[in-house]
Amino acid sequence: MRSKGRTELRLIRFVMALALLAAAEAVAVPQKMAAPFVFKHAAMGTEFEIVLIDQNRALASAMAELAFDEVDRLEELLSNYRETSELSRVNRLAGQGPVTVDPEMFAFLSAAEHWSRASDGAFDMSVGPLMRVWGFFQHAGRVPSDAEIAKAKRVVGWKLVKLDVATRTVRFLRDGVELDPGGIGKGFAVDAAVRLLREHGVERALISAGSSTIYGMGSPPGERGWKVIVRSPVLPKRVISTVYLRDESLSSANCTEKNFTAAGVMYCHIFDPRTGQPVRGRVHVSVIHPSATASDALSNVLFVQSPDEAMSTLRRFVPDARALVLYERNGLKCATFRWSGTIKGCR
Amino acid sequence: MNRRDFVSGVAAAGVAAAARPLRALPANKPLRLGVIGAGSRGQEVMRHFLHVPGVSVTAICDIYDPRFAQVNRIVGNDVWGTKDLNTFLTHGDMDAVLIASPLACHAEHVLATAETGLPIYCEKAMGFTPDQCQKILSELEARKTLFQIGHQYRYASWVVEAVKRIHAGEIGEPLQVYAYWHRNGNWRRPVPSPDPDKKLEHLINWRLYRETSGGLVTELGSHHIDLANWVFGERQPHSVLGTTSIARYHDGRTVGDNVQATFEYSKGRRMFFSSITDNAKVGNEVWVYGTEGSVSLTIEDATFYYEKKKSNAPAPSGKTIVQRGIETGASYATHGEMPYRGEGARVKVAEHEDPTLSAVESFIGAVRGEHPPVADAHVGYGSAIACAVAHDAVFTESKTAIPPFKA
Repeated sequence: MRSKGRTELRLIRFVMALALLAAAEAVAVPQKMAAPFVFKHAAMGTEFEIVLIDQNRALASAMAELAFDEVDRLEELLSNYRETSELSRVNRLAGQGPVTVDPEMFAFLSAAEHWSRASDGAFDMSVGPLMRVWGFFQHAGRVPSDAEIAKAKRVVGWKLVKLDVATRTVRFLRDGVELDPGGIGKGFAVDAAVRLLREHGVERALISAGSSTIYGMGSPPGERGWKVIVRSPVLPKRVISTVYLRDESLSSANCTEKNFTAAGVMYCHIFDPRTGQPVRGRVHVSVIHPSATASDALSNVLFVQSPDEAMSTLRRFVPDARALVLYERNGLKCATFRWSGTIKGCR
Repeated sequence: MNRRDFVSGVAAAGVAAAARPLRALPANKPLRLGVIGAGSRGQEVMRHFLHVPGVSVTAICDIYDPRFAQVNRIVGNDVWGTKDLNTFLTHGDMDAVLIASPLACHAEHVLATAETGLPIYCEKAMGFTPDQCQKILSELEARKTLFQIGHQYRYASWVVEAVKRIHAGEIGEPLQVYAYWHRNGNWRRPVPSPDPDKKLEHLINWRLYRETSGGLVTELGSHHIDLANWVFGERQPHSVLGTTSIARYHDGRTVGDNVQATFEYSKGRRMFFSSITDNAKVGNEVWVYGTEGSVSLTIEDATFYYEKKKSNAPAPSGKTIVQRGIETGASYATHGEMPYRGEGARVKVAEHEDPTLSAVESFIGAVRGEHPPVADAHVGYGSAIACAVAHDAVFTESKTAIPPFKA
């Protein structure tokens, strides 16, 4: 559905704090906070990054490897490039009849269905054929004919994907439907990595999927959260807003990295599945939510919907989210929903 | 050929697979799976079982507390669990058992489960020591236990097709198998703190210690040894010569962080296995070298390459050479030293299903009496006995015989 925009993350410069443990029977012991360890790993067509503190190098390395293994496992599950993935199996077989999937895959598909329903189709994992006719899969953007778009739209639509919770199956109502995890898969992987790190006792960490979905676990010592800077996608030196994440995620979407221009018109790789056309008029979206799966999907939803629709969706379905939408309407405008950071450069 | 036909076909092509369940599960009856050992691999295989219609996980046996909650999340409901093997085996609510416990526990778990008569899907390797391998196979034979070992390459459609073509002579005579599993990682799992007596360290990182782990040859190479057994058409290699060391991870582990081993088969044929943990360039790949070509086998695909054609037939124009002479010049041709490999011919198959899922589907078919297992107990023995001997041989660095099964 999109490749993610760039939200620049600046690792906070930690001030080494000395903590004194005061207990009646214990001598106060100064504790020096360890320097953060940063680990990177290529997966899901991007680079995942994990920042760990509070651990020694060996433990931090083991934690990072554990989390990256989990991301790799989910790539095996969700990749639509790997023929042996579970999603490829679903794409291959669900047009012929119901396909039984395991609870994890069913949960993933259910989350996608939820956001499709909540957004009235603005989020749609079946959008792949549209991206293909517009040349985005081949990195060769082109404006297709109306007939090509109409043909692609025949197999696009979240209502063509039927989930049956009783049998834990998925089937497509039309042969040729295919699911693309691009708009939600990385968030799903980030949530899984966070869960695994928590299970292993990690309280403070930053996990980033190509910087488009970022999760801040806990907060660095003495800080109110992990600091995230949202830059203008048009003028990268300009800071639009600064926010802090504490046990929540931030996902962003914009069109600066994947687009093409034809006859003076820039076409964005993020599609409105309802019209079959690339989205126009939106500049940048950032969404904050405790679930990275939700923020990832929501960043697509809010990018595709008009700002008014977007605010309505947030009020109805995710009142606990925070969102910033930059759009073009006689100049750069912004719409916000419970956004806590200061905003510069738009009205 | 559809997926179901393929899975059945794989089974029909199996050899020496006489075991069947004592009472086959009717095809329309749901299959209830019990699991011994729900660590990372056990969880992954469990997920694949849950991809098959009618399969449910009904019982768990594990000694590590966090596993129970992890299994509940994977399965989607609370699963009955116990830490006690006997309690588990008398639970009753099971039609088959998945054993994915640490290697050193396999003998105890397989032998105890075999006594119940339940079919067993056991993760590789089948046994840890040579004696255990011998005893396990003897007991499974005596009890006619339905047993499948987790050598999922045997079920990968592209590998099945490639081996079929190798056996048909497409690369001439296969004489060498070179197998690699190269990674860049310390193979270590995080351990909860505090762990003063290192109990959790040894429980969680059992792969790093010789008393519980076969090291890289067993944990990574057993699949490749099984492939060599299959390609060469032999039950097992006859001897092994190997070496190992710790080059990078001086962290208290007692197995090597790299290993190289050569396994000898009949007629001078060899299988070479290398595993390192500080560079992943080569990855996980098996090469079968024949006199007329080569095949690359991976967990995702198979590709054929062919040697340059040579002609030893007398040239009909020899008379011309005699009468007119032959021109002289430089004879060195670089392409002779570094032949262009080209893209190769990728094996095309209708279904590119995850091999573990195919293996699990085939096992369920066997439990339902549709066919015998392909990767049966003899297949399991063939790789396990080689690993069990290599376990010490890579430290002694002397050529060591691998004993055949004594029926």
